[in-house]
Amino acid sequence: MTDASEAAPAAGRPSGQWVLLSYRLPREPSTPRITIWRKLKRLGVAQISDGLIALPADARTREHLDWIADEIGEVGGTATVWHAQPASRHQERQLAQAMADARAAEYRAVLAEATTARGLAPGERSRTMRKLRAELRRIHRRDYFPPPEKHAATTAVNALHPDHEPSEKDTAS
Amino acid sequence: MKWATRAGIHIDRAACAWLIRRDLDPDAEFVFLTDPADLPADATPFDMRGADLGHHAGDCSFETILRRHELTDPSLWRIAEIIHEADLDDERYDAPEAPGLDVILRGLSMTGDDERTLAVTTPVFDGLYEYFRRQDLLGREPA
Repeated sequence: MTDASEAAPAAGRPSGQWVLLSYRLPREPSTPRITIWRKLKRLGVAQISDGLIALPADARTREHLDWIADEIGEVGGTATVWHAQPASRHQERQLAQAMADARAAEYRAVLAEATTARGLAPGERSRTMRKLRAELRRIHRRDYFPPPEKHAATTAVNALHPDHEPSEKDTAS
Repeated sequence: MKWATRAGIHIDRAACAWLIRRDLDPDAEFVFLTDPADLPADATPFDMRGADLGHHAGDCSFETILRRHELTDPSLWRIAEIIHEADLDDERYDAPEAPGLDVILRGLSMTGDDERTLAVTTPVFDGLYEYFRRQDLLGREPA
């Protein structure tokens, strides 16, 4: 009855297929607005305009936006989910680039914190490493077009492990 | 009874199906829909948009079924935390098992159909349940 080949390929490069969420939320109360916005932010959505966000389409992103659309309905708003293709490659590249830039900034923040932590006492360094690994996992989840900064940030965080002898090698980019 | 959900099942739907067979309907028959509009009239939908047994107030469908059917078994709720985090990843719970299970379920959906995912995950959820049941009895990590 089901066909495993239906599973959408994972997004990596712009594939031309996007899922859009168009929504309106009541101004008040503000709590659901904030909850929804946090969820969208966590998913790393591209904001196209007020009340219109986009993600590269795959099984996971479609499902997340479907549930968020339902939730918007439950709190008195309206939402529709669309499958779309940008009319031009240029537009799509801009969208993907904006998303990659947002992730790059997050990776740079991790890299900066990891670099600072190299000078800390071992216990403090390990604590920072654990925290930054969790942060990297969160960023990976919403990183649809991995920027070059990903590698440097990951390397710098792993270098905080006690098995990595502190070296004067420069990991900053 | 007949139960229906969206095809291409991931962790929440696989766990719901396991829970339905285990606690609600041992003879449950599952239908996997490619188009939600094909919902058979005699089937109870779960983990589908608009279904009562879906996501509500930040809960995943597995949690919703536990609440609706007043299932309070702490081992089921411990599994619910894992399903919630693997599905929604919003850090409501501390469930370190979630990322691993999430990846396993994604891989299963790439290599087989929904029937096979259910066949493979049923003993996995049985095992998780037994683990948490013993953990609860012992008050520590079971051997």
